[in-house]
Amino acid sequence: MTTASAPIPTTPASRGAALPALLRSEWIKLRAQRSTFIAAAAALILGLGVGLLDVLSVTGHWATMSAADRAGFDPVGDPLSGFQFGELALGALGVLAVSTEYATGMIRTTLTAAPRRTVLYTAKALALGVFALLVSELCAFSAFLLGQLVLRREHLNVPVTDAHVLRAVTCAGLYAAVVAMVGFGLGALLRHTAAAICAMFALVFLAYPLARTFEGASYLPDHLLLINAASALATVHPPAGPHAARVPSFGFALFDLALYLAVFLGFGAWRATRDA
Amino acid sequence: MNASTNPPPIEVHALTRRFGATTAVDGLSFRVEPGRITGFLGPNGAGKSTTLRMILGLDTPNAGHALINGRPFRSLPRPLREVGALLDAAALHPSRRARDHLAWLAASNRLPAGRVRHVLELTGLAGVAGKRAGSFSLGMRQRLGIAAALLGDPGVLLLDEPVNGLDPEGVLWMRTLMKSLAAEGRTVLVSSHLISEMALTADHLIVIGRGRLLADTGVREFIRAAGPGASLEDAYMRLTAASVEYRANPNPAADPNPASTSRS
Repeated sequence: MTTASAPIPTTPASRGAALPALLRSEWIKLRAQRSTFIAAAAALILGLGVGLLDVLSVTGHWATMSAADRAGFDPVGDPLSGFQFGELALGALGVLAVSTEYATGMIRTTLTAAPRRTVLYTAKALALGVFALLVSELCAFSAFLLGQLVLRREHLNVPVTDAHVLRAVTCAGLYAAVVAMVGFGLGALLRHTAAAICAMFALVFLAYPLARTFEGASYLPDHLLLINAASALATVHPPAGPHAARVPSFGFALFDLALYLAVFLGFGAWRATRDA
Repeated sequence: MNASTNPPPIEVHALTRRFGATTAVDGLSFRVEPGRITGFLGPNGAGKSTTLRMILGLDTPNAGHALINGRPFRSLPRPLREVGALLDAAALHPSRRARDHLAWLAASNRLPAGRVRHVLELTGLAGVAGKRAGSFSLGMRQRLGIAAALLGDPGVLLLDEPVNGLDPEGVLWMRTLMKSLAAEGRTVLVSSHLISEMALTADHLIVIGRGRLLADTGVREFIRAAGPGASLEDAYMRLTAASVEYRANPNPAADPNPASTSRS
């Protein structure tokens, strides 16, 4: 009774109808996981808190500040300075959204419910991407508004209608959401929470001194760094001084975001469509 | 279920899986019929889990294929409606509540929310549905795994060591549940190390060793073939003696003569 067998039927495997159901499923997973809200809260607290400390320090010392320091002040960039820390919480959120699934072995349960890897990965990335963008824009706009409240004391505030202000705040949120997706891609690639968080940390922070060693030959490595792209995206004053050469143009910074998104989501997709 | 026209619920054909130099599953072929409990037995390392993983599309075979209702698992549009699987009880996120674990599964296959309530009651977990899965005992996790497997009301069930970690009452409950699922005409494939448990539950046996089929036969025929007065355990030991990979005490007292065992 173990002999006769039909050839493998060639059933069309891809049908788009599964995506909405999987999006809903992935969203339930995300909101039912404690680490999601811990990471989102950490992003909000760090993003608002550090930005607040920065503007409080500026308004406290404005009268005695040197002209150079005053010139370096950015009424949008300074309130958003907490983003350097908030973005790491968002990156961790991205890592945890996928790595825990492999660490706990739950991925096997997921794949027996959703065996098409590509559709599943798309649903995961979309669910996290939308959530991360909402959280990071909420962070960006609340940090900006809180900062303006403090800066008003020294009449240093800028209205959101000023040139590039809305652009800078929106891009700050976009930037942090991209960091979350880089974390997600690394989590899917490495399938290990600690390894992926370390890699994300290295990519965001430790790449900076590395790129500087190339400065004798080219500023291109500097221009490809997320941290320098942020300097172009989330400020209203163009950077001044020796640092200026490291910061890419606004257009190049947007290209950086697209590049990181494509590369890391691509790495993640490559691994996530392999056996688990 | 009009079994005469339908393809077999589970069909494995010439399935082969190699890991480096080792061949875990070696040209394995069998079918699993509906309406009875089929025990899937074999020594440690025989390839049971790898076979189950390939049936579920978690591993890609090097050769051959495994079909569910005539189709590869990965092509099923709503797999939970066709196959329920219990792979291991730890395959869930500890910080999620039991209800949420079932809710995301239900959403992924567009199953109505009522099914979540139903399986929670069926497995006796309704009272702890709001608790985080990490706080569950192994037995409760096992019940949650069963709840997930039954969520889509599937015709095929693949259960890997389902009584693992269950207390005597839980074992009895699982036995009764499996029997009633088979009596409803479902296909139940249960892998286990516990021969005594299989003697009480299985109607049919598929025994593998070193990735190859050793027997595919009814439980009664299997025992009868081992000779007068033999138990299921005796029959199993004789059949697998030649293919045990990890033996604590290398003292092959039994006659390693698997050729004498009948195949149906």
